[in-house]
Amino acid sequence: MVEVKDLKKRYGDKQAVNGVSFSVKKGEIFGILGPNGAGKTTTLEMMETLRPIDSGSVVIDGINVKDDPQAIKYLIGVQPQSPAFQDKTRLVEVVEMFAAAYGEKVDALSFLRDVDLEEKAKSYVEDLSGGQKQRLSITTALVHGPKVFFLDEPTTGLDPQARRNLWELIGKVRDRGISVIMTTHYMDEAEILCDRIAVMDNGKIIALDTPKNLVKQLLARGFKKEQEVEQANLEDVFIDLTGKALRNEQ
Amino acid sequence: MKAPIKISPRRQSLRTSLFTVWAFARINTKRFFRDRTALFFTIIFPLIFLFVFGSLNSGGGDVSFNVAVISHSDSQFASDFVKQSSQSEVLKVDGDITSLDEAKEKMTRSELDATIILPESFGLTQPGESYPSGEAEIVYTQNSQASAVALTAILDAQFKAINSSIVTTVTPFTVKGTQLNENSLSAFDYTFAGLLGFALIGVGIFGPLNVFPELKKMGILRRLSTTPIRVWQYFLSTMIGQVAIGMLSFAALFIVAILVFNLEIVGNWFELIAFLLLGMVTILGIGLALGGWAKNERQAAPLSNIIIFPMMFLSGTFFPRFLMPEWLQAVSALLPLTPIIDGIRLIATEGKHLIEILPQIGLTGAWLVVIYIIAFRVFRWE
Repeated sequence: MVEVKDLKKRYGDKQAVNGVSFSVKKGEIFGILGPNGAGKTTTLEMMETLRPIDSGSVVIDGINVKDDPQAIKYLIGVQPQSPAFQDKTRLVEVVEMFAAAYGEKVDALSFLRDVDLEEKAKSYVEDLSGGQKQRLSITTALVHGPKVFFLDEPTTGLDPQARRNLWELIGKVRDRGISVIMTTHYMDEAEILCDRIAVMDNGKIIALDTPKNLVKQLLARGFKKEQEVEQANLEDVFIDLTGKALRNEQ
Repeated sequence: MKAPIKISPRRQSLRTSLFTVWAFARINTKRFFRDRTALFFTIIFPLIFLFVFGSLNSGGGDVSFNVAVISHSDSQFASDFVKQSSQSEVLKVDGDITSLDEAKEKMTRSELDATIILPESFGLTQPGESYPSGEAEIVYTQNSQASAVALTAILDAQFKAINSSIVTTVTPFTVKGTQLNENSLSAFDYTFAGLLGFALIGVGIFGPLNVFPELKKMGILRRLSTTPIRVWQYFLSTMIGQVAIGMLSFAALFIVAILVFNLEIVGNWFELIAFLLLGMVTILGIGLALGGWAKNERQAAPLSNIIIFPMMFLSGTFFPRFLMPEWLQAVSALLPLTPIIDGIRLIATEGKHLIEILPQIGLTGAWLVVIYIIAFRVFRWE
């Protein structure tokens, strides 16, 4: 579905992305990990038509991003790092507007239902919690039925309940046959969610495999954790104490 | 999750493109009416200006002075004078004041412009004379010199009239004023056209200028740029919304001006509306260019001040251009807002037809083309 070949991008004298290649299959969740400044976001932005590509190619569903960015826009859905919507706008209107941007008229309520926001349909966007905004953003990115869905650090700043809820949602998107490409700083998130992971540093991919294989490879190199692995961690305690039910801040 | 994946059309028909424009215009205009601050500044604010400037101008020649009259004289002439003054339209006599000290206190607070003092001998017939005489004194403070000079002139004229009725002398040379052409432009006609220009700046420039940079800062336009929407679609949707809002603001101004300030529209309404639309779209282009270019509010403010303030003061928004020195008139004639304000005045209050204001239409049209070329060039989504 997605083919990235030797992608490069330079800002001044910094080679932000330096020859990145990978491919993503239909219905796969592909994670891009790496420290800040590794080139994750730049890579995504080039794929999303937001930044001009210096060299290399991105082909989505047979269409080269460089050749026909306008056609690519119909194939992709984009979830920005911190979703924002213009205020004084109702949720239904937000969905209607995004659909209209693709020239489509949709049943906005059903799209809100998909992300459990139906009862908020008439609310203004400024009354939503962080997690609710993320969910609204996801459903607006899917109004036109894209084939590839990009998420940039979707769960940053969310509480554990909202994070879990978002994971579930991303899983459902994948189950619809949409390819998901996401970046994250959370290893647990990558481990649970991603089918395959690319680890980036200094503009290059330094490892690419399934989470399980990456761990296996590390162990095979003789790595041992200093501490005994406990059967539960603090997050398990937190979830056990506060439950999995999603909170709405207001 | 349902919603089956469908193949989207790669290229949109014009109808689909306009559907996009309409949906954005509809929702964004609704949004505008939910924003009380925006409503106040675009619709109520120009109305307040209209009331302020309207009341300043509509008085016409009705100048009046607040005065106190203190008479120390018992003469018949003095009491007649006091009685006449209190009935005068020019003099508003404060009847409560009987002493100079009271008058002084009110004058220092500018509640009174001047005090007229009639001395004891005022209006008495001096020995050896056959008619009464006297000298009235006008007391005023430094702050109200202009009023006092005018008041002195008025009283002088009054006394001259009285003098001539008592002492008949021949006045071989006189001056008579004759009013010509009662349909001439009043100060209010200029003010009103200027106010429409002011409202135009509010809707056309401040509208997009307040919205676009904020949307960019929040990343909303950037997100929108990942959808297939085109710049022209976004501009057009903004235009439809702002023109609707602008027409509403204009309608309010016209209704108040006609009902309250007796504005008389002698021109053709259709021609007026057509020209207003042209002006609105042109000025809106400036807002689209500025807002589309600026990355954030901080970038927007200085540039917009450089462009808006000269236009506001030189295009005849607050005071008519004919008051300016000639070289400035020549320069300001070329500003985009000038032909619009002139054109509105020419149609609305001078009854000119579109065909007669082709210079104004041409200049506005030229600006329209230039402004929109710039607006499309400098627009950025983030």
